Amino acid sequence: MKVIKVDPEKCTQCHTCDLWCGTEIGSVAKELNDAIHENPQPVPRVYVEGNNFPLHCRHCEVAPCVDACPNGTMRRDPATGLVYVHEPTCIACWMCVMVCPFGIIAPSPSFHTAVKCDRCRNMEYPICVDVCPTKALALEEREEGATWYGYAPKRSY
Amino acid sequence: MDFVQRKTADRAVEHFLKEASEKEIPLVWDRYEGSLPQCGFCETGLNCRDCLQGPCISHPFRDQNKVGICGKDKEILGVHSFVRLVVQGAMGYLDQLTDFAQGIESGEGSPKRKKEAEKIINDIKSMLGDRASDIFGKFPKPLTDGWKSTGIYPKGMAGDLFKVSQKLDGGVGSVEDAILWAFKGALIGCAAQMLRERLKASVFGDSSATNVEVNLGVLPKEGPNILLYGHFSPLLKQRIAEATKGKRIRIMGVCTDAFLPPYTFAPVTNYGSQEIPLMTGAVDLIVAGDQCVNPSLAELAKIWKVEIVSTEVLNRGDVSTFAKEVVKRAEEAFAARREVSKDIPQVKESAVMGFSTKDIDANKVLNAIKGGKIKGVVILAGCNNVKFTQDHEIVSLAKELLKKDVFCASEGCASVSLAKYGLLDPSQRETSCGKGLSDLLSSLGKNFPAVVDLGSCENSGVTGFVISLATAGKKQLRELPIVASFPEANRTKAVVRAAWTVAMGIPIYFWPFLPVTGSPKTVEGLGDFCEKNFGARLHVVTQKMEYIEKADLLMKSLERR
Repeated sequence: MKVIKVDPEKCTQCHTCDLWCGTEIGSVAKELNDAIHENPQPVPRVYVEGNNFPLHCRHCEVAPCVDACPNGTMRRDPATGLVYVHEPTCIACWMCVMVCPFGIIAPSPSFHTAVKCDRCRNMEYPICVDVCPTKALALEEREEGATWYGYAPKRSY
Repeated sequence: MDFVQRKTADRAVEHFLKEASEKEIPLVWDRYEGSLPQCGFCETGLNCRDCLQGPCISHPFRDQNKVGICGKDKEILGVHSFVRLVVQGAMGYLDQLTDFAQGIESGEGSPKRKKEAEKIINDIKSMLGDRASDIFGKFPKPLTDGWKSTGIYPKGMAGDLFKVSQKLDGGVGSVEDAILWAFKGALIGCAAQMLRERLKASVFGDSSATNVEVNLGVLPKEGPNILLYGHFSPLLKQRIAEATKGKRIRIMGVCTDAFLPPYTFAPVTNYGSQEIPLMTGAVDLIVAGDQCVNPSLAELAKIWKVEIVSTEVLNRGDVSTFAKEVVKRAEEAFAARREVSKDIPQVKESAVMGFSTKDIDANKVLNAIKGGKIKGVVILAGCNNVKFTQDHEIVSLAKELLKKDVFCASEGCASVSLAKYGLLDPSQRETSCGKGLSDLLSSLGKNFPAVVDLGSCENSGVTGFVISLATAGKKQLRELPIVASFPEANRTKAVVRAAWTVAMGIPIYFWPFLPVTGSPKTVEGLGDFCEKNFGARLHVVTQKMEYIEKADLLMKSLERR
């Protein structure tokens, strides 16, 4: 399973990844000049915050959000292993927002649905990795049993 | 973030692209692709690095990052992006003017019409201070009255341009205010361009439409070749030309004023392909100014062992000595470069360039408009922009307009683009023009090509032409069917030219879109607000368009007026 690897040493916090994420994934228009004036405002799925670290979904091997979701809205794609929100069934209970250890799931400000990075599962290549000017983001195969970019807690129940 | 699918429409340039890729020599197109995706904040004008607390952005998708540290929001950032371009462009024209004027004043040139030159120099001096230039008297009175009532009538550089530049530092004015200040700065640039043209005429004498050959095929195989790149003092050009007298040295130009009576510097190519002449191996020495010259030339010149001399150096010294030195170095370079193989594509077109206002009978043009023979006048300007296929946009747009009986005038690098495809060749006129336009052009004169070139962008040919139309028609410019377009705009000088053209009441279509799109108020300000004040809009077009759609847009704009 391929996930996005972040190299904080290369990140300059230029916000290019979340700008293009908001345009390509969050907006209806998909064109930068139209997306920036769109209402409701598009929501990027990646967060560049704090110490040079763009936060993406880690698609955890044991995902607390999938476990916490009461009605199976938070799903894992069996083919790719990527975790995504099945928006039509979301009841906006925000359990996933609460349990995510990385804080990357957000309630949508305009719709009753949770918003999170699905690593552009319907695209060939994630847009953030594509646009990163310093190559701080890279698409890499997840190492077996890794905990650095694949958060893997033990089931406690 | 689009890759350029086809790099150029010019087959002489295309000839060298394969060689460049085989030898792994990066050209402008490779560098552009390497820089993709370009910064989205800069592209939309939502960034700022005017102080050291930044750099700041206004993030369109994040609520906690909507305003810069000092409080510039997206509207202010957008309009400042416009002001910054205008100021830099106006400075470009002022630099051309002062460089020339200082040369005359220090006795480096001998003006043909001494009294006139002295008068102009005095006018320039007062404009560099804080008094309005007399040149504004050339504009129709209603226009200048309009400028005075909106407050954009410029007093002088010290009084106004310095103020405009400090708009970028801060303050609490509105977006509309900032736009008007930018226009005030733009008009100083306009005055500088007009003064420079008049000074040139008084020093070198009037120039007239001249027959030249254009494109890489004009480079001769034998003898040392000097290429003049970019804009620098015409006095230096004159001295270099004089110093080559009696020698086999040829002088040609790229992105420079081609006419300096009695000398003509044939345009070898235009902005987008300015690196290509080096690849022919036929260039021995390049004299380069600062404006419109790609820094990449320095590296490329090393490969073909070409000497480059910068004109804008500290302590340049006496012009004549410098010119003699240039010629001497060209001869040495030629001797040292005998081994370098030459590959000159035999592609060239003849063209008639450099028409002046007095060559064009404004009444005939106006009568043709009134009689419905032609649909209006379109002014084509701008250089090349790597975001578009080189020359394709402007040439196909011009061809489309000519078919529809639109009188096309062009200036600067745009003219060289058009000349490369025969649109400035009088003998090919009939093939591209519609019936009505063809009749008008043949009534204007024998040597009129399909597109009328009004001279280099250093001269104010376009301004003079539109003023003559307004005076002859006894109408305001905003009432005449004139539209201007920059299909492949590039330099900041194009932005300032667009700004002052709008202030005169002529709408502008500008491609690519200006970096102001992040601010709806600025886009509206350049549209509706300018329409209200000056009767013309600066159109910021963000949609992708084919040239046919662009031509339709221009035609509709002509019909509305």
